[in-house]
Amino acid sequence: MGFFRLITGEEDIGRGPFFWGVFLLLVATFFAIPAFLTEFEAYNISFYLLNIPMALGLCLLWGYCGVLSFGQVAYFGIAGYVYGIIAGNMVGHPFGPLIGSLGGLAAAALIAGIFGYFVFYARVQNWIVPILTLVLTLLLETFLGQTAGYQWRVGAVQLGGYNGMTGIPSFQLGPMVFFGFSFFYYVLILVLICYLACRMLVNARFGKVLLAIREDPLRTEMLGYDIRFRQWLTFVLAAVLAGISGLLYVQWGNYITPTQVGLLQAALPVIWVAVGGREKLFAVLVATYALNWLNYTLASQGNQYALVIIGALLVIVMVFFPRGIIVTVADWLRQRRRQAA
Amino acid sequence: MTGPTPLLATEHLAKRFGGVIATDDVSVTVEAGDLQCIIGPNGAGKSTLFSLLCGIQHPDAGRILFKGEDITRLPPFARVRKGLGLTFQTNRSFVELDVSQNLAIPMAAMRAARGAEAEERYRYAQDLFGLAEDDPTPVRELAHDRRQWLEMLMVLAGGPELLLLDEPTAGMSPDETSQTAKVLHHLNATGLTIIVVEHDIAFVREVARRVTVLHQGRVFADGALDEIAGRQDVRDIYLGRA
Repeated sequence: MGFFRLITGEEDIGRGPFFWGVFLLLVATFFAIPAFLTEFEAYNISFYLLNIPMALGLCLLWGYCGVLSFGQVAYFGIAGYVYGIIAGNMVGHPFGPLIGSLGGLAAAALIAGIFGYFVFYARVQNWIVPILTLVLTLLLETFLGQTAGYQWRVGAVQLGGYNGMTGIPSFQLGPMVFFGFSFFYYVLILVLICYLACRMLVNARFGKVLLAIREDPLRTEMLGYDIRFRQWLTFVLAAVLAGISGLLYVQWGNYITPTQVGLLQAALPVIWVAVGGREKLFAVLVATYALNWLNYTLASQGNQYALVIIGALLVIVMVFFPRGIIVTVADWLRQRRRQAA
Repeated sequence: MTGPTPLLATEHLAKRFGGVIATDDVSVTVEAGDLQCIIGPNGAGKSTLFSLLCGIQHPDAGRILFKGEDITRLPPFARVRKGLGLTFQTNRSFVELDVSQNLAIPMAAMRAARGAEAEERYRYAQDLFGLAEDDPTPVRELAHDRRQWLEMLMVLAGGPELLLLDEPTAGMSPDETSQTAKVLHHLNATGLTIIVVEHDIAFVREVARRVTVLHQGRVFADGALDEIAGRQDVRDIYLGRA
C-alpha cells in the first residue's frame, strides 16, 4: 500500500480533494500566522496545539483499539518531569534539551510498557483498565506532591512538590533556542507529523486489526492475532504521544506541577476525544484544538467556570451526539452526498 | 507398536464453574481426516469442551494434545497458529466492518502459514458461499446465513488443520444447511479434520462419520454414527429420560 493510500485511507474523516484542499489551506494559514498575529498570540496558539498528540494517542487507544485510559496525563507528566530533570542538569549543553526530550519519551514508554504489560498480558478487560490507569496517575500526583523538601532534588533540579518544577529549559537544538514564533513552528510541525503518522497507522493493516480488536477481541485472537501484544503496543504508543504533549508543555511554560497529572487534568483528554468523536483522528484533532482554545479563552477572561462549561459541553454531547459532534456531522454530510449522487 | 499420533487428544479433561461441573474426565481422540460430531442435550458441556480446546477457558485438570504436543497452557492465538480454527456458537464476524475487511484480517495473520491445500479449500468454500474478497458490503447488511458462512470462511482463510464448528447451521434454512453440509464434505474429502457441535440431528446424519455424545459433562457414548444413532439410551438423554 502506497504512502498516498495510507494517508488518504478510509479509517479517518476526509478522503476527497475537497477535504485535502481545505486541510492544506488550514495548514498554510497556520504557517502564515506570524505574518498577521503577534508573537504572544502565536505562543497561545502553541498551547492549544500542544495537547493534540496526547489526544491523538487516546483516540488510537480508545477509539480504534477499544481500550479507555483515564490516565494519559501520567505519561504527559513523566515525560515533562524527566525532561526537566535531564535538561535542567545539562544547562549550557547545546543538545541537553534534545537528550532530555528523548529521555522523557523513553521514560514515558518504559513506565507504560511495564504497566501495560501487567494490564494486557493479565488480560484485564473493560472498565478495570480506566480505573487502573487513573489510579496510576493519582499515585504519581500524590508522590510528586510530597516532593517539596530540599532532599527531593536530582542533581541541580528540585522536584518542588506542589510548587512545581520551575525554570525548565526551553527546547534547543545546537545554538537554536525555540521560543515565540520558532517554538510555534516547532509545535505545529510536530503536531502535523503526529497526526499524519497516526493516520497512516490506522489505514495500515495494523489499524484494521485494531478495529477488529475493538469490536471483538476474542474473535480477533481466534484468527491468530496476539491481541495482548497489539493492545500493549498501542498503549505504549499512546503514552509516547502523551509524552510528546508533556514535553511541549514544559518547553512552552518552563514549569510543571503535580496538578498536571491530577484528576481534573486526567479527565480533560477523555473530554476532548469524546466531544470530537473518538472513532476518527481528525475529529479529535479539531475538538482538542477548539476545546483548549475555549478553555484558555474563558479562563484568561477571568471566567471562574471555564471547566464547568467544558464539563457541561461533554454532558450535552454525550446526550445528543454520543459518537461525538464532528463524527456525527461528518457522517451526516457523507450520507447527504451519497443520497445526492 | 503404537499407532499414528492422533491429531487431537484430550486426557481426563475437567472444568468446573463454581459448583457446576461443565466438563468431567473427558478423554476423546480425533484422528486426522475425521469428520466428527459432538452431540448432547443443552448443558452437556459441548461448548465448554470447545472453549477448552481453543484456550478460551483453561481446564482444572487434564491435558490437551494437538499433533502429539501438549497445548493445554497455550493462549488461544498460539493454538490457532498451530492449526486450530473455531467458529463460535453465536456468529462473531465483525459487524462494524465490511466483508472484504473481515476476510483480510485472518488472511494477513495466517497467509504465510497457509499451504496449497488450505488455499484450495478456502477458494472452494468461497465460490460456494459467494463471498468475494473485494466485497464492500457491510457485514451488518448480510443475512444470517451469509454471516455464518462468512465466519466459516474467515476461519478457513487461516488455513486450519482442525476445524471446530459450534452449531454452524443454527438458524439456517434446509437449503442453506444442505449447502453447508456440501462444503463440509468437500473440505473433509480434501483431508481437513472437522469437529462439529450440533443439535440438528438431520445435519449430523448428513455429515458425521463418528459421533461423540456428551451428557452432564462426561462422554456418554462414542462411536460410528449408525451404532450411536441406534442406541436407546442416547435417545433417552435427548428426551430427558436419563
